[in-house]
Amino acid sequence: MQKKLLEIKDLTIKFHTDDGVVEAVNKVSLTVHEGETLGIVGETGAGKTTTALGIMGLVDCPPGRIEGGKIMLDDRDILQLDEDEFRKLRGKEISMIFQDPMTALNPVFTVVDQIAEVIANHQQLGEKEAEQKAIEMLELVRIPAERAYEYPHQFSGGMKQRVVIAIALACNPRLLIADEPTTALDVTIQAQVLELMKDLKTRSKTSMILITHDLGVVSEICDQVAIMYAGEIVESGSLEDIFENPLHPYTNGLFGSIPDIDKEVEFLSPIEGLVPDPSDLPKGCKFHPRCKYAQHLCSVEEPVFQEYSPGHYAKCFVYEGKLPAKEVKKYE
Amino acid sequence: MSNHYIEVKNLKKYFQTPGGNLHAVDGVNFTIDKGKTIGIVGESGCGKSTTGRLMTMLLEPTEGEIFFDGKDITKLTPKEMVEYRKKIQIIFQDPFSSLNPRKTVFHSIAEPLEIHKVYATKAEKENRVYELMELVGLSDRFVNSYPHELDGGRRQRIGIARALALSPEFIVCDEPVSALDVSIQAQILNLLKKLQLQFGYTYMFITHDLSVVKHFSEEIMVMYLGQMVEKAPVKELFANPRHPYTQALLSAIPVPNLKKKKERILLQGEITSPINPRQECRFAARCSFATEQCRKEVPDITDLGGGHSVRCLRIHEI
Ligand SMILES: Nc1ncnc2c1ncn2[C@@H]1O[C@H](COP(=O)(O)OP(=O)(O)O)[C@@H](O)[C@H]1O
Ligand SMILES: Nc1ncnc2c1ncn2[C@@H]1O[C@H](COP(=O)(O)OP(=O)(O)O)[C@@H](O)[C@H]1O
Ligand code: SF4
Ligand code: SF4
Ligand SMILES: [Mg+2]
Ligand SMILES: [Mg+2]
Repeated sequence: MQKKLLEIKDLTIKFHTDDGVVEAVNKVSLTVHEGETLGIVGETGAGKTTTALGIMGLVDCPPGRIEGGKIMLDDRDILQLDEDEFRKLRGKEISMIFQDPMTALNPVFTVVDQIAEVIANHQQLGEKEAEQKAIEMLELVRIPAERAYEYPHQFSGGMKQRVVIAIALACNPRLLIADEPTTALDVTIQAQVLELMKDLKTRSKTSMILITHDLGVVSEICDQVAIMYAGEIVESGSLEDIFENPLHPYTNGLFGSIPDIDKEVEFLSPIEGLVPDPSDLPKGCKFHPRCKYAQHLCSVEEPVFQEYSPGHYAKCFVYEGKLPAKEVKKYE
Repeated sequence: MSNHYIEVKNLKKYFQTPGGNLHAVDGVNFTIDKGKTIGIVGESGCGKSTTGRLMTMLLEPTEGEIFFDGKDITKLTPKEMVEYRKKIQIIFQDPFSSLNPRKTVFHSIAEPLEIHKVYATKAEKENRVYELMELVGLSDRFVNSYPHELDGGRRQRIGIARALALSPEFIVCDEPVSALDVSIQAQILNLLKKLQLQFGYTYMFITHDLSVVKHFSEEIMVMYLGQMVEKAPVKELFANPRHPYTQALLSAIPVPNLKKKKERILLQGEITSPINPRQECRFAARCSFATEQCRKEVPDITDLGGGHSVRCLRIHEI
């Protein structure tokens, strides 16, 4: 087993708004090993971005507040760092890529300048050397050197996202967090970016957290997967665990909802109902209002997140043996 | 005259832009039979929405004909157009921007009924609104809610209810689930399918996602830079894609199945400009099969039989 790089324990993040308390992240525990890619999968509002911002020390406070837990990077709890120390950590040890590349790009500077600036800031290099290194980074993400002196608006969406990846990688971070990096791109362009990320993963051994709602994307590049629902991890395990032997009813529901290109079905099997409002979460198991297997117990008591086979965890009473169902039916 | 319910011939839409003529839709042909669905697929900017808006006459074509039940709707009188508009409706991708933020669910759904003065009494209109809400799975309790108070899935249900209000025959669905989460996507896709079975609607289903359209349509047309590059019955297209672009598009879809990992065709480069396109195959810049000839000649459409046609000069070699 590789060395643990990041270990999150019971991370809890809430937003205190005028309309109430949003319980965005509830006792989330996750581990990323060195060289490994962890996929965090979930629908809108599940708390994926908030978890990532928690790791980056970028949660909006107020209204946000980290109310509990630890985020261990090696042996340090980074939640104990002050703002200055966190700033040093970002970019150098942890970088993040956002869905919209323009949040990370400055429209008035050329792309090469933007990468060179990051490099100059973090690695005492001269202007010329930083620029040279920046051009190398662009070539690494397959943007030809002759386009280095152009501005972001002259680039297509896929190219902008590749520039952002170059910026994020410029300082050789140990952990790269990518938040829906390909969601806004066309599939053929998405394929290019995923291929690039896979390549970087094997070459630079950077650890990654890939946030996505797309199980297809996860299956392309992740080693470990965590399924998030209503601020909680409801299941986690290796890629094979989750795809070959999904346990939780929500995970199975997600697979049933996806139109499968290799299958003939007239109707899909969606999960009925809607994602709950995180400022008014249901009691007991948070999935119970939508769960086909729910019994009275599920609406009053909360299941425990437990290990069922080595490394494969789920949070559901079916697997605690407390419900009539012995197992959850696998999606077709 | 053919006996297809809908027949589109050489449909073109050019937009004047400061850089020149933008060929958004450039000579598209297809037919749709009653009660069936055609899927229109391709990357952003390839002309899908423009095609859909032309079908609903929200846009006027630069050239071409659209026959609806044998009648060319591009030549209708304004009075005939009013009648036609009722038969044909559109559902948009982003229900939020297509709904009036100041109108409640009730008023949003009642609006088309009021514009077309469908009912003489208030009671009849109210009945119809509640009936439509039930049809699309919107609970009564939302009748006085505003769009911003609802989630994306419910907003899309309002969009669908509005489209159904005037009992249309043909519905253009322009990326109706692209903005929704997967579990909600499946709910809406099932709803659209159920409504089609119940009322016999004919659909044009526009999407950038081939897996969404697969279980939904009888026929698929793949577009690239304003042109049809391949058209085939759905099974044939998936089993036997022939155009290099379709092949790349199919191979690029990440499949959530570990046992079915396929060889990926990676395209180089990105879509070229649709403004004043050159006399060449529009896919040539990204095509790994491109030859000199592909850069000099616009490929014709080759009919492969069985409803399968492809626009590629080298179709018999690759
Ligand atoms: N700055 C904020 N203020 C208030 N609520 C927020 C804020 N940021 C996120 N939230 C809420 O926290 C929940 C989780 O959001 P997010 O982490 O963005 O989910 P995801 O990335 O999985 O879609 C959502 O209900 C969201 O509305
Ligand atoms: N009103 C307009 N004026 C100028 N160009 C337009 C207009 N509407 C669409 N276009 C252009 O036409 C092309 C096709 O657009 P569209 O039909 O929206 O594509 P798609 O729906 O496939 O993404 C694009 O290049 C787009 O920028
Ligand atoms: S604990 Fe109960 S409600 Fe929750 S997922 Fe399991 S069966 Fe469903
Ligand atoms: S005509 Fe040439 S460039 Fe175009 S798709 Fe066929 S082989 Fe490729
Ligand atoms: Mg997010
Ligand atoms: Mg469109």
